[in-house]
Amino acid sequence: MATFELYRRSTIGMCLTETLDEMVSSGTLSPELAIQVLVQFDKSMTDALENQVKSKVNIKGHLHTYRFCDNVWTFILTDASFKNEETTEQVGKVKIVACDSKLLGQ
Amino acid sequence: MQTYLYSLLNSPSFSSASAPPQPPPLLRRSLSSPPAAETLAAGAADAAAVMASSNVSTVYISVIDDVISKVREDFITYGVGDAVLNELQALWEMKMLHCGAISGNIDRTKAAAPSAGGTTGTTPPVHDLNVPYEATSEEYATPTADMLFPPTPLQTPIQTPLPGTDTGMYNIPTGPSDYAPSPISDIRNGMAINGADPKAGRPSPYMPPPSPWMSQRPLGVDVNVAYVEGREDPDRGVQPQPLTQDFLMMSSGKRKRDEYPGQLPSGSFVPQQDGSADQIVEFVVSKENANQLWSSIINKLETPTKTITPVIPQCDGIQDDYNDQFFFQGVPTEDYNTPGESAEYRAPTPAVGTPKPRNDAGDDDDDDDEPPLNEDDDDDDELDDLEQGEDEPNTQHLVLAQFDKVTRTKNRWKCTLKDGIMHLNGRDVLFNKATGEFDF
Repeated sequence: MATFELYRRSTIGMCLTETLDEMVSSGTLSPELAIQVLVQFDKSMTDALENQVKSKVNIKGHLHTYRFCDNVWTFILTDASFKNEETTEQVGKVKIVACDSKLLGQ
Repeated sequence: MQTYLYSLLNSPSFSSASAPPQPPPLLRRSLSSPPAAETLAAGAADAAAVMASSNVSTVYISVIDDVISKVREDFITYGVGDAVLNELQALWEMKMLHCGAISGNIDRTKAAAPSAGGTTGTTPPVHDLNVPYEATSEEYATPTADMLFPPTPLQTPIQTPLPGTDTGMYNIPTGPSDYAPSPISDIRNGMAINGADPKAGRPSPYMPPPSPWMSQRPLGVDVNVAYVEGREDPDRGVQPQPLTQDFLMMSSGKRKRDEYPGQLPSGSFVPQQDGSADQIVEFVVSKENANQLWSSIINKLETPTKTITPVIPQCDGIQDDYNDQFFFQGVPTEDYNTPGESAEYRAPTPAVGTPKPRNDAGDDDDDDDEPPLNEDDDDDDELDDLEQGEDEPNTQHLVLAQFDKVTRTKNRWKCTLKDGIMHLNGRDVLFNKATGEFDF
């Protein structure tokens, strides 16, 4: 199954990457195994988002920049608002990076 | 549960780099594994409840558990003990706690349920028959050499069994040394099989043949954009997974001619990381290139959050060699400001405050080191301002998701996203679906 490396840049992904990096640097872990762990993280994170998360979000904002490159959309919004069931978050500037969901089915 | 809290209490000690290997986590693991197997049936029922709440922290913990449980087999195959895996989990959780991504009191009972359920769904708790069964006995063993001594640096996949110290894997009672290679070769076979197995995260069907340009050293050649992109095109069709790089960090489409050759040590190799085809190396991990690949992954991921470019190259057309004074040789320079100041680094005959614009222009044509003036003042100034405005990890708001559809009518953009992680105002929010309406 194909996976995205996209989520490695999230908080949880960065924490994992830092951890692995420390362990590889100290010699506790081999780089090959560290890569395996990251690949497994890609799968687990995608699964969890698909199966455990049910919330819905509305995004509004001014589109400052858009880009579509290698099947990845990148949007930069200014004055954006994110509204879900519980709260509304306002941010001055936000970047959205989105991979093509159809590629996961392959 | 109690054992887990105990390990949490102890977790600060992990921060001191290689604290003595951790008995508590291993005890926890060996204690908790059998019950986990027993409560599998209950897990399914609990999973529904978790779905309803969908707490971010809960999801993260279940992801951690899922990853840890699924890489365990790989760790065993590589001959790395459970202690290392537990250290990985403890460090990971500690970092998550530190940045507030998971809450302080981890409710493991909820999180354990879906992860256990997920485990049974995909990987049955049966042991891989390719791996000698002795390997797993490590889980339940009394303290082994693995725990009592810190792991050796750069562990080889197969640990050399030390006679007398190893009570776990290779304890063969009959003990003639010619007997020992048998389990090892089994492990080797297991590794080979795993390596080719798609389950191990290496979808080999997608692996294109190694492109010749990957091993080339682009340095020293004036990188021609059209040429390079033309070469990548054939790969694009095969490339199933788009790259998730920081596209803003690189120029869009047009490559600026700012690969200043003088700033790189000669002979250094700059890996091609332009988002098109770099990922294919992911699936040809071997022992030789794993190190290099790993460092490239680290670099790729860490640059967005860290402040790069400690030195901004001075390229205003005047004394562009300012940053590397020893690169500049011999050519008489013009010096508009302070004649005596930097002259000693340069020409044997100091130019005494006489501007020589003609000379400068001539140099420009001769050596192609220097980008033309103002060549790129139209492309992404505004973007740069926006990007560099606030680049701290905490204030950088980011949404990572998959898109289902993106449409535009006039300046109204609409998109539907799914499975996203948002980091807004220092907080993580997850969504299953999102709709966006933007005006451009």
